[in-house]
Order: sequence, then structure tokens, then C-alpha cells
Amino acid sequence: MTASFKKILVPIDGSIYSEKSLERACDFADAFGSGLILIYVVEKSIPINLLDRKEYLDILRKFGTNVLEKANKKLSKKGITAKILLKEGNIVNEIEKIAKKEKCDLILVGSKGLGSVTRLFLGSVSNKISQTSPCSVLIVK
Amino acid sequence: MAIKTKKILAPLDGSKNSIRGLDMAIHIARQSQGTVVALAVKTVPGIYAIHPLGFLDFNSMTEIKKLLSEAKVRAAKKGIDLTGKAIAGDPGYDIARFANNPKNKIDMVVIGARGRGSAKEIFLGSVSNYVLHKSKKPVLVVK
Repeated sequence: MTASFKKILVPIDGSIYSEKSLERACDFADAFGSGLILIYVVEKSIPINLLDRKEYLDILRKFGTNVLEKANKKLSKKGITAKILLKEGNIVNEIEKIAKKEKCDLILVGSKGLGSVTRLFLGSVSNKISQTSPCSVLIVK
Repeated sequence: MAIKTKKILAPLDGSKNSIRGLDMAIHIARQSQGTVVALAVKTVPGIYAIHPLGFLDFNSMTEIKKLLSEAKVRAAKKGIDLTGKAIAGDPGYDIARFANNPKNKIDMVVIGARGRGSAKEIFLGSVSNYVLHKSKKPVLVVK
């Protein structure tokens, strides 16, 4: 197959699992010479109290930029440059949209995220991505 | 950091998607200088799994052996070492068990998004989904 991984999309959320997937992404970038796109999605679809909504989203945004910066530092230590994106909306939809827009060849996700209940097997976001994504998905355990 | 994917498991069922998965596995194996393990599972209805005579169906075992030898030729063309394994049982369960078995030292599972099952599920096949959930190793779903 000639299609190698030119572009890899790495959605991160600051959890241990996303760190793991980041490490794996470094490996892939080294091996295949592929470009990385880091993305953090601020979830907007969950019902939040109307009054606190703005404050809550601000906190999330701050957290998101923090996580992205940290990840970028980690990558630059290894000599890899990555494109950084901060999006807002439904997590799965945004990731799919970006994957289509940037024509990514691979989505690299951790098996679980920051969900309130640590699921036994597979997180809801990872599950949805693996079911509906237009490109190949690597789930890091 | 060195790439850790030395041994890649590629489950086969003879469908186009699984061949694509195999191609991807070969591609990754080339990059990381690893080997590919092809696993073909012969579906056995649940009852036969208990009944010993269920495994004596040699007729379809040859079909699987043919599949594995084809895969071997495919990998040999690209210069990759491929070992074939044939198992009789429930595909999802046995693939996950094979991947999780520490004896096999599997580092990654590469699986096609859809197999031979009915085309009702547009997005992800049931076996792929099962493996995705149950395996403790990284899973690459090829679309």
C-alpha cells in the first residue's frame, strides 16, 4: 500500500491516556515522517447551568490551552513540530470535521479520557470516533 | 524512542477489508522492521465449540490454510516475515484472547473495519468492535 501516514490527528484531553497516545504519535512521526496535528475540543454540548456557563467554558478553554502548550513542549523536545488547534463544540463532531478538512490519514486516540466514570474497556469518545471516522483509527491502550 | 511494534497481529477472514488491513500491517512492519502474525479464525457455531467433533471439519480448514498461504505470498513480495496461525472458534473472542496472551508478544493489532458479516452495519463490524473493546494492546482500525 502506498498510502503512508502523512498527517496524524491527535486529539488530547490532558489525561494519562492522551499522554500515552502522544508518545505513540512521536514514534509514528519518527518512523513515517508524518506531520502531527494536536487538537483539544472544548465540549459545549453538555448541559451546564446557564449562569455558570460562561465561566465554566473559560476555565475549560484555559485548561485546553495549557494542555496543548504542554504537549507542544514535549514534542519540540523531540524535535517534532505540530500544528495546534483549539475547537469548541461536540467533541466527536469536531474531530471528524478536522479529520476531513485536513485530510488526515490516521486518528490516534487513547482508549479512555477524562470521563467522570473510568470505563472498564473503552471510552465513549474513542468508541464513537472508531465507529464513524472517515480514516483509520489507532487506539492506544 | 525506538518503535516498539515488533510483532503485529493481522486477523484475516478473506474479505477485501481484511486484505487491506494486512497490507497496512505489512506497511507498518516494513517501517519498524517487525514481523506480521496472520490469524485466520474458522467460525464454529457455539455448540461445536463444546463438542469435540466440531473441530473435525477439515473441509473448511483447507480454505483457511489457502488464505494463510496467500497472505504469506503477499508478505513475501514485500520482504516481510509472516507466520500464519489457524484457529477454530468464535472470531472476536479468539482474536482478543490471542492478542492478550503474553506468550504471543503481540505489540499491535491491525484489523479491517468490516469483515464478512452482513452489510447492515455501515460503520464498524461486530468483530472489529469486539476486538477494539477487549484487547489490551493498541488497535489500528483500517478503513
